[in-house]
Amino acid sequence: MADSSEARRLVDAIIANLPDPTPGLRPVHTIGVGVDGYFMASDVARTYCIAEHFKGQRIKVSVRFSNGIGSPFQHDGWGDVRGMATRFHLPDGTATDLIATTLGEFFVRNVEDFFEFAKVAKLEPYGRRSPWLKIWDMLQLKLPPPRDPYPNETENVNAGALRYANGHRFAQLGVVQAAVIGAPVSYARASYHAVHTFIVTDPNGVRRPVRFSWQPVAGVRNTDTKVVPRDKYLREELEDRLQRWPARFMLMMTIGEAGDALDDPTQPWPAMRNRVVMGTLTLIKVAEDQAADGERISFNPCRLSPGIEASGDPILKARKGAYEVSREMRGGCPFRWS
Amino acid sequence: MSAVFKFADVQGNIVRGYRHKPRVRHLVLEIIDRIAARRWLAACASGGDDVPRITTGDWREVEPVTCFNIGLTYEGLRALGTPDSSLETFPIEFVEGMNARALKLGDVGESAPETWPAPFNDPKRIHIVATIYAHKIAQLNQVQHQALADGKALRLLGAPPDGCSFPHDLVHFGYRDNITQPRLEGVHEADRYADGQPRAPLGTVLLGYPTNFEGLMWRVPKLLGHNGTFNAFRVLKQDVAGFEAYLDTAAQDLLNQATVAELLPLGADAVGRGLSSHAALREVVAANMCGRWRRNGTPLALSPDTPNPSPAVHLTDFDYVGDSRCPYGAHIRRCNPRGGHIVQRVANNSRRLVRRGVPYGPPYDRAQHRDPNQAEPERGLLGNFIGASLGAQFEAMSCDWLNLGLQDPRITGSNDPIVGANDSLTGWFDLPLKSGKTIRLRGFPRFVQTRGGAYTFLPSLEAIRFLGSLKN
Amino acid sequence: MPGDEGWFDRFVNGLQESDVFKRLASLVLVPFWAWRMPVKPLPGGPRPSTQPGDNLQCMMNLIMPLKIKSPIGRAEAAKAIAENKDAIFAGLNNVGTVHFARFVIVGDNICMFSVYDGDFTNYIRDFIATIGGVFNAVVELAEGGEKVIPCECHVEAFIEWVRARDLYQVPDTITDFLRDQEALNGDKAIPGNDDLSLLPRKLILQLRANANVSLGSGYRAYPGFSVAQVRKRLGIGW
Repeated sequence: MADSSEARRLVDAIIANLPDPTPGLRPVHTIGVGVDGYFMASDVARTYCIAEHFKGQRIKVSVRFSNGIGSPFQHDGWGDVRGMATRFHLPDGTATDLIATTLGEFFVRNVEDFFEFAKVAKLEPYGRRSPWLKIWDMLQLKLPPPRDPYPNETENVNAGALRYANGHRFAQLGVVQAAVIGAPVSYARASYHAVHTFIVTDPNGVRRPVRFSWQPVAGVRNTDTKVVPRDKYLREELEDRLQRWPARFMLMMTIGEAGDALDDPTQPWPAMRNRVVMGTLTLIKVAEDQAADGERISFNPCRLSPGIEASGDPILKARKGAYEVSREMRGGCPFRWS
Repeated sequence: MSAVFKFADVQGNIVRGYRHKPRVRHLVLEIIDRIAARRWLAACASGGDDVPRITTGDWREVEPVTCFNIGLTYEGLRALGTPDSSLETFPIEFVEGMNARALKLGDVGESAPETWPAPFNDPKRIHIVATIYAHKIAQLNQVQHQALADGKALRLLGAPPDGCSFPHDLVHFGYRDNITQPRLEGVHEADRYADGQPRAPLGTVLLGYPTNFEGLMWRVPKLLGHNGTFNAFRVLKQDVAGFEAYLDTAAQDLLNQATVAELLPLGADAVGRGLSSHAALREVVAANMCGRWRRNGTPLALSPDTPNPSPAVHLTDFDYVGDSRCPYGAHIRRCNPRGGHIVQRVANNSRRLVRRGVPYGPPYDRAQHRDPNQAEPERGLLGNFIGASLGAQFEAMSCDWLNLGLQDPRITGSNDPIVGANDSLTGWFDLPLKSGKTIRLRGFPRFVQTRGGAYTFLPSLEAIRFLGSLKN
Repeated sequence: MPGDEGWFDRFVNGLQESDVFKRLASLVLVPFWAWRMPVKPLPGGPRPSTQPGDNLQCMMNLIMPLKIKSPIGRAEAAKAIAENKDAIFAGLNNVGTVHFARFVIVGDNICMFSVYDGDFTNYIRDFIATIGGVFNAVVELAEGGEKVIPCECHVEAFIEWVRARDLYQVPDTITDFLRDQEALNGDKAIPGNDDLSLLPRKLILQLRANANVSLGSGYRAYPGFSVAQVRKRLGIGW
């Protein structure tokens, strides 16, 4: 197992920065909903990766959508990163996970950066910016000025994150994107990215560095930022939607080239890279047993089946241990690694 | 020979290979004082004052004992006080200098200019690159001493290692170099040096003459350009140990493939008497990566199965039309696709270069026992790639043909296996089989690293005299 | 808390969205800041790169203002293209690396938008060799064009002239835009002191220096393949 003391420190650092840490629940991505569905690989997927779920049979899938904020209080309408964790249930009884978020790039490169970030980006009181200061911003063409706080929002890490980004160029993309990420009108109307590079092996033994993304067939749509955000709507929306018709996502796999950042989750890959359609995910219904399929279920980004390996990305490695520690702490369901 | 220009006006290294002088030294010089430097140039051009005389293309009956030539960088022209009206007419790639053109040339990673050792890490100070060709090292020293005797004019910034030709034109990696050079209209007789290619217009290699592109002429820099040309000087380090090790791995992998018999259709013996299949496959891989068999340079286009065909074949009288089993991605085919079918149809024969390259460093002996803790001595090629337009010839060939492989869809996305910017994880090269199928080789690292270089202008004798006569 | 914002709060919030403020800011604030923090125009064309994917299906957005800014000028440009259609198509076929190309008249500008493979300089140079005549006819009608025609005699200058009129491509990620600005200014200072809140102003001022830009590197349905690769796979010869 990876350095579990470091993993423990990571989880503690995250919990230390939560407004309402609640034992027994996930420290981040606390609010979420489990969904059932199935995955069908495309006809070319197997030529790129020998993993079982790309062979072409119908694979049962458990997905958990979530809000990124670490708080038991639900604020669907606040600007927040959303998560989509997918478990592919393979025919031989094992499973493989793919964890994705709406934030395409991370804001730190490795564990040391993360600890430093946690120290700088602490929860700070967040109030409405005085209108005189806003006018001053406008005169300096700093448009638009920072947003007003949401109803019931009294503190956040925005100022600290901005300070960290100003001091570290690699963090700027992640922080800027997180600041404008908004709220989707539905969990099924956002694109989710796995961020880290994986290495897939094809039937000829050729290994390729790749990055995965889920593209919503219904398209991406965010809520109107001018309207006061609602606190609870995403789960109801999903239940409603799935009763009428299934929600689909395409799994896109981008193939990296020599010179692309393989082990650096803060660096995006150019849009000019080869994109392969690996398959379609169809979500049928919100899981009936939310306690099992929404809460106790625990995913791990390094739970991969033969044919997919982790790259040397240090954050990916660290997440393996951090997710294990966190799962143990909250009594999440243990799973077989192989 | 008939000529449209005076051989005596052109520097010798452009039209001659100096093959009988195996030793070469490149001096990288900075101009200390422009007045003294101008005097030095005037003396080199006219011969006097105990400075080395510039070797021209006109040797009459007597071959010079040593050969001396110079190239100037843009910074060098500026340091001499060349008038702005002339400086403005030099092409942009020459003005920017080789260090700034790294992305076009594939000089990235360990070949990046940031890694180049002195004197190439300080390009603004590189003003003149002078070359001395001779038989003996003592002669090189003597000419160098002569050239720098006037301590007021020039400062020696440094010099890459001396080059010394191997017998039979062999270079490191075991290939035979210098087999084909452009035969120039007006210089080489039509019937001598048959090479299966049309003769190259003079503008391939000299400014001010028609080029291979119909109706196009490169801009002749004002006051200095006529009968001059440009040179891309490169210090290319070759990882011979790595190359030989890769040939071992590749041969081993191929032995395990079902189609291996197709790679040795005439048997291992046809590749070399008494060779094992493994050793023969090593030579097959090496030959396919280059386009010529090692040691004797027999072209794959004429003899894909054996380096010693019977009846013997010509070394260079061939073309890539019809059924050629020279791989599309082989080095010599990438650099010069001859009349072969390429994507950029108008560009056939338009990116040719005169190449003056001499190896440096001790020859590599595979059999010799080596101490794993000791680094290999540096070895490689001192390359000079001469063409009238750096952008249209050297750079164009480097960025679209050598790397990227844009000229043929079967190689697009891959780099030259021998000199390209390869990476073990993503590089590939297809070996053609007699049946038409291919075997894809992977996992080869970058074998050639750039360790320095400069874009230089090789002025005519008249231009050198003009520079020597500048006043202000 | 929303609901307890005063009338002044609401007024200021509304102000930033209002057209009146934006027009006033454009007239007064933008020139003021442009004077205080001069911004150099960024160069056009795709970012140089040695990676194959970055050198395939590159976008060219060429904008050439016409000399005669009137329907007559536009008609002349239309005529120049129409009369040379055969030459243009033959040239594009022979250059072999162009996926798509079209000439467009927008306002008093004759524009060429194309998707091509490989190095920009080689692509334009090969064009000069095959359809130099067409270039001469079109560039003659463009502002500043007389300096570089006939293009066959001014090859290098013509290539630079075209490059200067190829639009800057704002990167796909806004932070890369900041890096472009820093590179142009030779910003070798050790990073650690940026101010991301200035990003909107930097963008506004850059869009003043580069009035026409391409937003992002563009969308490609099948990125990473050259013209000849596509034609070969489709079995239609290359």
